[in-house]
Formats: sequence, structure tokens, C-alpha cells
Amino acid sequence: MAHGTDTSHGHGDTVVDHSHHAHVCSFQAFFGIYVTLLFLTFVTVAIAEPVSGLHLGSASMLVAMAVAAVKAALVMTVFMHLRWDTAMNNLAFLGSLIFLSLLFLFTLADHSTRQVADPIGGTPVEVKRFGQD
Amino acid sequence: MTTYVPDIEKAPEAGSRKEPSYLDVTKGFWSWAGTLDHKRIGLMYLVGVTAAFLCGGILALLIRLHLWTPDGAIFENAVYNQVFTLHGVFMVFIFIIPAIPASLGNFVLPLMLGAPDVALPRLNLASFYLWLTGTIMAIYSILSGAVDTGWTFYTPYSLQTQQAVVSMGLAVFTLGFSSIFTGLNFIVTIHKMRARGQTWFKLPLFCWAIYATSVLQVLATPVLGITVLLLAFEHLYHIGIFDPAHGGDPVLFQHFFWFYSHPAVYIMILPAMGVISEVVTVHSRKPLFGYKLLAFSSISIAVISFLVWGHHMFTSGESEFVMLAFSFLTMLVAIPTAIKEFSWVATIWGGSVALTAPMLYAIAFLIIFAIGGLTGVFLGTLSVDIHLHDTYFVVAHFHAVMMGSTALAFFAGVHHWWPKMFGRMYNETLAKISAILILVGFNVTFLPQFAMGSQGMPRRYATYIPEWQIYHQWSTVGAVILGIGFALMLGYLIHSLFAGRKAAANEWGGVTMDWESPTPPNLYNFDEEPVVTGELYDYGHGAKH
Amino acid sequence: MGHSTIVTPTPQGGFQTHTVAHHFKTAEQEFQSAKLAFWLFLATEVMLFGGLFAAYIYYHDVYPETFQKGGALLDWKLGALNTGLLLTSSWTMAMGVRASQLSQRKQLVWWLVATVVCAAGFMVVKYIEYSTKYHHGIFAFTGLFSPDDHYAPDLQGLAYPQLYFNLYFTMTGIHGLHVLIGMIAIAWLIWRGAQGRFHSGWYTPVELVGLYWHVVDLIWIFLFPLLYLVP
Repeated sequence: MAHGTDTSHGHGDTVVDHSHHAHVCSFQAFFGIYVTLLFLTFVTVAIAEPVSGLHLGSASMLVAMAVAAVKAALVMTVFMHLRWDTAMNNLAFLGSLIFLSLLFLFTLADHSTRQVADPIGGTPVEVKRFGQD
Repeated sequence: MTTYVPDIEKAPEAGSRKEPSYLDVTKGFWSWAGTLDHKRIGLMYLVGVTAAFLCGGILALLIRLHLWTPDGAIFENAVYNQVFTLHGVFMVFIFIIPAIPASLGNFVLPLMLGAPDVALPRLNLASFYLWLTGTIMAIYSILSGAVDTGWTFYTPYSLQTQQAVVSMGLAVFTLGFSSIFTGLNFIVTIHKMRARGQTWFKLPLFCWAIYATSVLQVLATPVLGITVLLLAFEHLYHIGIFDPAHGGDPVLFQHFFWFYSHPAVYIMILPAMGVISEVVTVHSRKPLFGYKLLAFSSISIAVISFLVWGHHMFTSGESEFVMLAFSFLTMLVAIPTAIKEFSWVATIWGGSVALTAPMLYAIAFLIIFAIGGLTGVFLGTLSVDIHLHDTYFVVAHFHAVMMGSTALAFFAGVHHWWPKMFGRMYNETLAKISAILILVGFNVTFLPQFAMGSQGMPRRYATYIPEWQIYHQWSTVGAVILGIGFALMLGYLIHSLFAGRKAAANEWGGVTMDWESPTPPNLYNFDEEPVVTGELYDYGHGAKH
Repeated sequence: MGHSTIVTPTPQGGFQTHTVAHHFKTAEQEFQSAKLAFWLFLATEVMLFGGLFAAYIYYHDVYPETFQKGGALLDWKLGALNTGLLLTSSWTMAMGVRASQLSQRKQLVWWLVATVVCAAGFMVVKYIEYSTKYHHGIFAFTGLFSPDDHYAPDLQGLAYPQLYFNLYFTMTGIHGLHVLIGMIAIAWLIWRGAQGRFHSGWYTPVELVGLYWHVVDLIWIFLFPLLYLVP
């Protein structure tokens, strides 16, 4: 909490509070980020299998998500001012990603280990896996 | 050390106040329905959740009476399914989740921070009306055909049963957002509205508990929201996400559901722990033992709660690998929980304990919570749970935690802050009798359920084999004792509003800022803006934590 | 407690004065409270969409072929066009917030108008995509999934093709609803901004709607490659 201004006046006063100062970005910074975002979109499309015919296999998902993550990071840090924002506001937003990753982690771990009947010995046995009809 | 005796002679005289109390400052229906005052919103929640508790309690009594005979005494089997579902939905979503944060938290939290209100008063009122809307939608689902899925709405059964699942799902969605708004508001309030000089380690433990609860409300509830929304879509349009007939995986529904609903268990119990911390220290006149450990254990319970949800799904067909992981992680919850239990006991030890009504409720909490917590360790153990899953053992365990612990802590808090809320005192003798009736009634109800659950009595059955009749009858007798205890409580509390003696300015000798405001508080709480200088929980006899 | 009225500095040029709500001690406290609350709200949005993303990844893992062939039936060109529109609107929104910080009333209105126009363009493209799918019988929410000859050969032999399209419609539908809500909020900002309500002394609503709009953009940044360019 900032207590930049003394407000302990008596009843009925009107106090002008100058305590609030925010970060203002330059036009160049915003425009630079915008152009970069468009370029990264072009990259995403250009390397995608349906468009380019490139066969990156299982890596293509990772590449696509990595490029998207870079774009998201640019939007968050500059457009949303997180770079200049308080640590708590950063934590409030980015913390949700940590908890979300737990949802991903455990549900996917469940699905990808469901055919292993003996997790300690690690011997896969013939168990019908969900989705394999 | 001596027991605190309230100076009743010094009870505030009418006209001696600098400003009128929040109860007197305005009058009329709209001064309540449109209020932005956190105390009035808290009281509206208090009335609302108490009414929900009454409805859910009556349904519980009907369930117990039905089970007096092996064939079921009252309902047809299908109706029985609807009754226990309604009991669950009312108690979980409409009563327990908002009970402590939205009523007591709303009233007490800004007072403890020395603040004139919560950070976002309009959002606070919006949260109440969302709760009301959700409750009305839930009642509508009952009238439009009822739901018989249990409060967990497991697919695929919930997709094949009545259409009312859709409106019930939307009701839960609405109630969820009510809960999110309360939690969000409290986080901002604790961050931005603290009094000058009130550092984080001068926060009363109730604030820490509410903070941890709010984090869970904000992070976990949206996943429930999207889950029930998808469930409604699934029921209406067969989109296939949870329906095996259309390629979906019902286990994924359970993952989503418990990703919220396990943290939700801590949304229920964490604020209860906060209340107990306050009650125990004030009525023992001793600073809390292990203040920082208690504070950090609240936060660590909140974080660990996101890592253990799969222990509700040991028989669902999730992979053995994640079962092992979830079972192991579940054991971690026992550490911060045990820290809390021992810290409370150590606080009472050597204190000058006053066996007031709030303290009796708190002691009842400590006893039942020990039972509820330890049986949770049994159920988190993978091999044991395979045997106990979906039996009365589970029913008894979570009633020990939710009803025996959270609801009792809620009532401990109601008795503790009642004089602050209304400036009136209830009849303490009757209050003590009802506390003892509830403690006895609880154990008579649920100890037989532990016994028959371990023998295999499945939950949610309308009938049972005659061998278990004696257990069921004891359980029903206990439920009736509980019902008498609660009816007595309702009676003397309402009576006190009209005929109770005027409460002292500081009825229990509490030393946190909630007791520094006038009784009842002003519209904006304090006469002078409070500034924190001294130690927290300083009862003035030199004891340090 | 003190009852003095706190106002924020108001620049010259017909701007309206902002009075700080009674329960705050400073304008900074009011601004930061609103902002923290809004960041927390955005965290709930992340968790809500996160559930949908988790479901998508899960079923992508279960039925990879269905998702690949289903995704190939979406028009990636329209998807890319929409990505460009939303990114542009995100930039104009950021510029709008900047204009309000600098008390540039006219610029604020025009940047916000540009944002709404891009958003409307996005919704028009979405409408074209949805109606195409509807005419070819794969608008799954009717409960009748019956692809016509145009699509049926591509979906031949796939396990549960409607699951992919249902996820597509659910995810883009809930996202589209957020776009619509954002458009209403921005329209309100234009109205109040033209009156001189927002200036260097108080621009909280512009800042908050801006953050909301960027999150709508963030979600689309992930939806686009996942749905249209399924690996």
C-alpha cells in the first residue's frame, strides 16, 4: 500500500491525490511487438504440416506450442504490462498456469500409464486401453 | 493467569456511541437488499446458509428415519436416491462452501484488518445474489423432476437420468461463481486493506485461513464451472466429452470433478481451522502456540490439496501408477493437519481456559476432527481404500470432517462473534447444553457408521441386510439427538435477538482488532482509524509465542 | 474515520473528475485493488479454458487420427485471418490504454473503435466458418452428426469424428462468447471515453477491459494452432 498523500483531514475536505503513477509504453515498443506477433503467426502457419507438408512427427505439436508460448509471453509482458507490474499481479496470473499444469500432468499421466498393470515391476500386460476399440 | 470476566456493567449505553451501529444506521427492506456493507451482507449470508442447513438437516433426518428398518421405512427406492442427492447438494454447495467464508468471513475479516469494508463491496453483494440465484435454480431442479445422481453427478449415469441434471448443473455453475467472487474479494482485501502497521505476521490466523481458502476458491472453482457446463452440454446435445457411447471417457469427468472437489474439501475445512484458532486463543487467554507454523500449514494444505484428488478415484479405473502417486501425496496432507491439531492442544495447555459455549464447540471440534482426520489417512491408503471405498466408512469419515468439524467450527464462530454482531448475548447455559448434545449426538450417529462401513455396508443404498439394523438404529437415534441440539440452538439464538442481555463491549476479552470496534460496529466499523503497534495475541501477562 | 473526499488530478480539456470510493485511503490503493482483483479474475479464466484445453489434449492423445483428419477439414486460411484480426485488435487495445494514460481523448476513442471493428471482423469470419459447417451437416450441437458428401469421405473410418468437432465448437463457441462480451465492454468504453471520463488521473476501466481483451487474444493464440493446424 502506498501512502503518498496525507488524507487525515477533517470532515468535508476535498483532497487531490497525486499518488498514482503508471508505466506508459512507447508507440514503437507496441508496434514492434505487434509486427513480431504477426511474424510468429506466419511461422506457425508456414511450418504446420497441413500447409507446408513438413513431417516433424511428434515434435510438431511441441514446436507449435512453443511458438504460441513465445507469442503469449510477448502479449503478457508488453501489451499487458506485466513486465512493469507488481510481483503479486505477476504471481496471481502466472500462478494459475502452475496449478493448471497439475491438471494436465495428472490426467495425461493417468491416460498414458493405463495399460501398465504392474507399475513397480514395469511389465506391460495386455490390458485393453481406453480408446482402442 | 486468570479468566477474563466481561465487564457487563460497562455494556455500552444507548446514546453513548459516537455513531449509530450498522444495524441502526438505516432501516427498511432496501437498506438490506441493496446494502454494500460487508457486515450486512455477512448477516444475509448467515441467514441464508442457516436456512440451507435447516433444509439439508431435515433431509438428513428423513434419510436416517427411512433407514430404521432394513427394507426402508419411508421412501420408495427412487425417491430415496433423490433425497440423499438433495441433502448432498444443499449441504455441500449451498451450505458448507459459503458458510464460514461468506458469513463469518465477510463480517469479521475487514474488522480484523482494521478496514472500513472489503476491497470490492459491489462484487460482495453480487456474490450474495449469485448465491441466491444458484439456490433458486437448485430448488427449481428439485421441483422440475429432481436429481438422483448424488452430489457428484458421475457420468454416464447422470447423462441417462432426468433432465433436471441440466438445471442443477447450471445451479452449481452459478454457486461456483458466487464462491469465486467471495474468494477473489478476500484476497484483494487482505493484500490491500490492512491497517497501518499490520504486517503479514501480525495477521490473525483466521485471516491466513481465509486467504488460503480464497486461493483455492479462485483457482479450483473455474474447473468445476467448465465441468458442469460440459455436463449440461453433454446431457442436452451428446457432445461426447464424458459419454462413453460417443467416445468420451467417464474417468476424465471424475478427474475434472475432483480437481475442484478435493480442494473444495479444504475450502470447507480451512476457514473452520481459522475459526478454531481464534476461539482457542481467546478462550484460553494465551497466544497461539506455533503461530507461523499454523499460518504456513494453512498455505501448504491449500497447495497440497491440488496434488491428491485421484484418491477419490481408486476404484474408477485410473492407472495404477497415478493411484500410487496420489496415495503417497495424500499422506502429505497429514503433516500440516497434525501441526494444526497439536498447536491448538498446546495452546489450551497451561492457558486459563474458560469453558464458554464457543470453547465447548471448539473442543468438540478438536475431538471429532481428530477422528475425521485420522480416518482420512486410512482412506488415503490405497489398499485399505479398495476395501472401504463407497461404504459407510467413507460416509462417516467425511461427515466427521464436514459436519463434525466444519459445521461445529461454524457454530463455534457464530457463538464467538454473536455478541459482536448483534450486541446481545444468548443464554449460555442452553448453549452449553446444545454443544454437549451435538457432540454426543454426532458420535452416536457416526461411530456405528464407521463400524458397519468397515463390515461392508455400501453407501447410498435404500435397503440393507438385517444384520446391520442395530447399527442403523443407533445411528438414527444419534441423528435425532443432533436434531434436538440444533433446534435448541436455533431457538436460543433467535430468542437472544429480542430478549438476550446486552453484550459487553468486549464480551470475551479478545485482543484482535475485531474486538476494538464498537459493539455492534459502526457503519464503517471503527470510530478512529486503527493502527497496529503491539504484539499479536498479547493478553497482557507476558506470555510469548 | 475521516470522511474527507479524495479526488484524482483531472487534466484540462473537459475531463470528468474521479472521486475515490469512501473505503479507500488513496487513489493508488483503489487502482491497485481493482487491478489485483482483475488479475485474479483472469486467473479464473485461465483455469476455465484450461479445463477445455486439458480435455482437448486428452482426446487428441486418445484419437490422434480423428483429430488430425478432423482438423484438416477446418479452413486454416480463415483461422489465420482471424488470428491476424485478433492480434491487430490486441495492439489497438494496448494503444487505447496508452491514449487514456496520456489523456488523449480522441485517440482513445479511435483506437477503441478500431478494436471493435477488428473484433466484429473476427465474429463475421467465425459466422462464415460455422455456417459452412452447418450446411455440410457437421454442426454437431444439433445432436445429429451427419456429414454430407462434401465431408463424409474424409471422415470415413475415423473413431468418433463428432468428438473433435464438438470440442472445436465448444472451445471456439465459449471463446466467441468472450469476444462478444468484450465488444460490449469496449463499446461502453467508447461511449464514456468520448465524454471525457478516462484520463491520466483515472483510467481503471480502460486498463481492465484491455487486460481482458489481451486474455481473449492469448486464448486464441493457443486455439489456432491446436484446432486448425493439428499435428
